[in-house]
Amino acid sequence: MVDSSKRAAHASALFVLWFLAGCSTIPPAVSNYGAAPSSLELVDTPFYSQQQFQCGPAALMTVLTASGVATTLDAVSRQVFLPARQGSLQSEMLAASRAAERVPYVLAPKLSSITAELATGRPVLVLQNLGVSWAPRWHYAVVVGADAENGTIILRSGTDARRVMRTAVFLRTWKRSNFWAISILRPGELPADPDRGRYIEAVAGLEQTGHVQAAREAWQAGLQQWPNDAVLLFGMANAEYALGNFSAAERLFLAMLRNDEAPLIARNNLAMTLAAQGRNEDALKEIDAALNLATDPMLVDELLDTQSIILSARTGASN
Amino acid sequence: MHSSMLRNFVLRLVSLSLLSLGFAHTSGAAMISTQQLVQSEARDASLTRVDAILARDDVARQLVAFGVDPQAVQLRVGNMTDTELLALEGKLDKQVAGGSAVGIIGAVFLVLIILEVVGITDIFKKV
Repeated sequence: MVDSSKRAAHASALFVLWFLAGCSTIPPAVSNYGAAPSSLELVDTPFYSQQQFQCGPAALMTVLTASGVATTLDAVSRQVFLPARQGSLQSEMLAASRAAERVPYVLAPKLSSITAELATGRPVLVLQNLGVSWAPRWHYAVVVGADAENGTIILRSGTDARRVMRTAVFLRTWKRSNFWAISILRPGELPADPDRGRYIEAVAGLEQTGHVQAAREAWQAGLQQWPNDAVLLFGMANAEYALGNFSAAERLFLAMLRNDEAPLIARNNLAMTLAAQGRNEDALKEIDAALNLATDPMLVDELLDTQSIILSARTGASN
Repeated sequence: MHSSMLRNFVLRLVSLSLLSLGFAHTSGAAMISTQQLVQSEARDASLTRVDAILARDDVARQLVAFGVDPQAVQLRVGNMTDTELLALEGKLDKQVAGGSAVGIIGAVFLVLIILEVVGITDIFKKV
């Protein structure tokens, strides 16, 4: 009886701490899980203490500052804090990183991808669920170190400048977010353990949201890692086009089309690139060639769309 | 009216209305983005530019309804990808929001602890 009430008192004390702590809190005890990483700590990583519910802005501010972005906690909060939800959404964390001209690279779901980033000097932003699935406590924090000897992970977390967490506990809380972690890359930097698909997704997002110069540098770095990759060539060519470097774009699209397996939509963009240089007849030939091969109705639509744009440009030019 | 013509008409109309709000497109109207190439490789044809442009507008309105400063909204949605916008559209209340407090579940938990202390349950006992 004494034993059980002591246990209950212990549980309620833990709970009260958990309830009061806002974004940062004490996670439940867990069993041993996962392997210990190697030891290192990025002691120079800045720390921004969070306001209530504002672990998202504080964590993002930490990794952006570590990546050389000059901003303020207020400005970051205005980009990622969602008042009615008292928190920050993952897609907004990615979007705000793009707004800062950085590449938000979503890491592969394993501890070694975090420690590999730490080894290159980049802290890693993680999403944890400090509660349980039916009573979630979603929390953003920044991993700045790992201590293999003691089996701990070191974080900038909430109002805690140096939070030391048992690796097993960290893994358990991180697992509940499906191991969501991002590294903030400067355009031109590659991840420590680069995964082609993840990298392309990150840079394509930057391109699509209009950060063309940053995307160009990132595609270029990607081509160092994966030379002649069709998607990277396409991305690089699109960036050159968007920057008005049409002859560079043309060379890249042609390089891509030298491969017989190159996607037909490269020909659509090549046509646009030729038209941008006033070579409307050449452009229309590319469209005709692509229309002869295209089977996908959406692609045919796109090609016809491009064709009509070029035809009206030609009419305009001859008037 | 041919359906692709209609689609293009709607696309142009919506593009124009968004451009007037301060949105800028990444590249020329008929340039296909790298994101679209990746999606076509993944055979994900469910996403069209029209859908994404409409979603951007919806998400912007929803963010304001969720308390975001209207002046900050353009920057926020402007930096989301088409895929992200479509995933968010209509689901702002369901997405994971890091920083959230525990709501009603906390009260349930408190009840469980009281039940435990007065000896009605033994739910916290290690088995």
